Amino acid sequence: MENRDSETIVCRCEDVTREMILACIADGYETLDEIKRVTRAGMGPCQGRTCRQLIAAELSRHYGVSMEEVLMTTFRPPAKPISLGVLADAYASENG
Amino acid sequence: MKAVEVMVIGGGPAGLCAALSAASLGAKVLLAERDGTPGGQLVKQTHKFFGSEKQYAGDRGVHIAQMLLDKARVDSNIEIWTDSAVLSIYEDGVVTVEHEGKHAKVKPGRSIIATGAAEKFLSFPGNDLPGVYGAGAVQTLMNVSGVKPAERVLMVGAGNIGLIVSYQLAQAGVKVEAVIEGAARIGGYLVHASKIRRAGIPIMTRHTILEAFGEKQVEGAVIAQLDDNWLPVAGTERKIACDAICLAVGLSPLAELAWQAGCEMAYIKELSGHVPIVNEFLESTISGIYCAGDVSGIEEASAAMVEGRLAGISVAVSLGHGGGAAEAMQREAMGELGELRAGLMGRHIREGLAKMDSLAAEFGIRNSEFKTPHAAAELGIGCEVQDISISATSPASALFSSGVPANEDIAKICPSDERFAAGPVAVVECFQEIPCNPCVKACNRGAIAMPRDINDMPALNARLCNGCGRCIPLCPGLAIFVIDMDYGEDLALVKLPYEYVPIPKAGQLALGLDRCGRELGRYEVVRVMPGGKRNMTHTVALAVPKELAMEVRAVGVL
Repeated sequence: MENRDSETIVCRCEDVTREMILACIADGYETLDEIKRVTRAGMGPCQGRTCRQLIAAELSRHYGVSMEEVLMTTFRPPAKPISLGVLADAYASENG
Repeated sequence: MKAVEVMVIGGGPAGLCAALSAASLGAKVLLAERDGTPGGQLVKQTHKFFGSEKQYAGDRGVHIAQMLLDKARVDSNIEIWTDSAVLSIYEDGVVTVEHEGKHAKVKPGRSIIATGAAEKFLSFPGNDLPGVYGAGAVQTLMNVSGVKPAERVLMVGAGNIGLIVSYQLAQAGVKVEAVIEGAARIGGYLVHASKIRRAGIPIMTRHTILEAFGEKQVEGAVIAQLDDNWLPVAGTERKIACDAICLAVGLSPLAELAWQAGCEMAYIKELSGHVPIVNEFLESTISGIYCAGDVSGIEEASAAMVEGRLAGISVAVSLGHGGGAAEAMQREAMGELGELRAGLMGRHIREGLAKMDSLAAEFGIRNSEFKTPHAAAELGIGCEVQDISISATSPASALFSSGVPANEDIAKICPSDERFAAGPVAVVECFQEIPCNPCVKACNRGAIAMPRDINDMPALNARLCNGCGRCIPLCPGLAIFVIDMDYGEDLALVKLPYEYVPIPKAGQLALGLDRCGRELGRYEVVRVMPGGKRNMTHTVALAVPKELAMEVRAVGVL
């Protein structure tokens, strides 16, 4: 079958295709974290809930490691995007 | 900063039960729910739940959510924050919440993470076309918003979610073109599969989706057969026209907050992904942070409710509430979990939890005085069930790939000719060890038994059964029928469960359908017995030719 990776979306939030993920792997990137930084996959509104497992599966396949061995990214607050206004209001009310 | 004794994060089945049990022992609880109303996925579940009475078996998920929420709302120990997404758990235990559009800080004594799961996605060409949905979104559209999501759907995945959502789509008048499943066997309960087969929906195991196509939205999908290595077999590609593709390919634990908090995590494939390591009381490696429900391993909602209850009791105890009664309550919850996980369907969960146990021991959080919730044998529950391969559930049976009981399956449960001659009798078409027992309670005459535990297949004592039909609408799997072979000279009366609209009327002709949804003929509807406000399953009595009494298993309104 013809290669349709450019029409296959892995990260819906940031419009990252399977073609882009595989290109990263071909370039030698080995971790979710690296791929996230290069492509922004996992940095959108859902924070990787959709694409994380798909990218991990590509890494697992390419490097011949089990899913257990694929390193996860670091999870930092906030777990979902919030507006800067919400944070600014909180700062203002705490600091007068 | 708001100080609370217990913070429950997530108002789904686990979170609601955690809040209720902690509050019942005297703890002050703050429950934070991301959505406008608590209930989680329960609010979309229009089917009846399995399990036992203690987990509200026989009730529909949406009713269970309402009942739990009604209790929580009047509990003076529970404060509920809705529209409140928890953003983070920091090292000092402070929890931040976006509460009604404002940033709020909470300092709880204990936290229970009950954030549930997220749906898995698939990568295939065209997977971003409008019309490619997760099963949860389809349920939200149909069952929460009352919007028909599509006219023709391809369902991907034959686990319980794929099967249940297919049934709900059929109830909503949507044509489900097929349910495809990569594995060789149907992953969900066979009674769910049989229900949708009777509605004429094909189930194709060992099939996958290759692509979605369409100009501006989904117009169809290309599917193909898979070989034993899960690779598409060339030449088996075929197009299925549809305007929506519904993905029901599993769930991942939603454990970001546990990661953030610094809980030790492990990838346990039997539990469907990375999960926080917890001990028998569901406490993580961070003292004071507990996890309950799908976040620490994907299971059915019935197990999530019991885990929530166990975590709630455990935090209350750790705060000095509860007194002497609490330990018995913990043991009771652990016993229920053991029972839910004791059958064949619970095998992978038991394997995953065994790994969890040894990791918990490694991290020094196991309390060996207590038995683990899944060590069913030690709790005196018939755990040896797991190793008995009952012939009907052997892989050889076509039932496991088709969802349609084969003749040899039916032969095992079919009452004898003498029994048929003696008057109406139930026919129980339940061929799988699933944790479910409402039929046992349904029978006033004690004709249905499960000798070992709720994972047994129901055994009908046909001599005790008088064919009253009380069990028909009470079986959550809609797998019980009553046949009166003596209804007329050439006619038998078949009583069937019915959950579609329109509801047939007595005196009308209706279609009699077989176990694959094929039309067998047009027969008279003799009676329709409504299931009532809560049960909602109608029983339809159809007069069919005697020779078709063991074939007609569904009714279609003309």
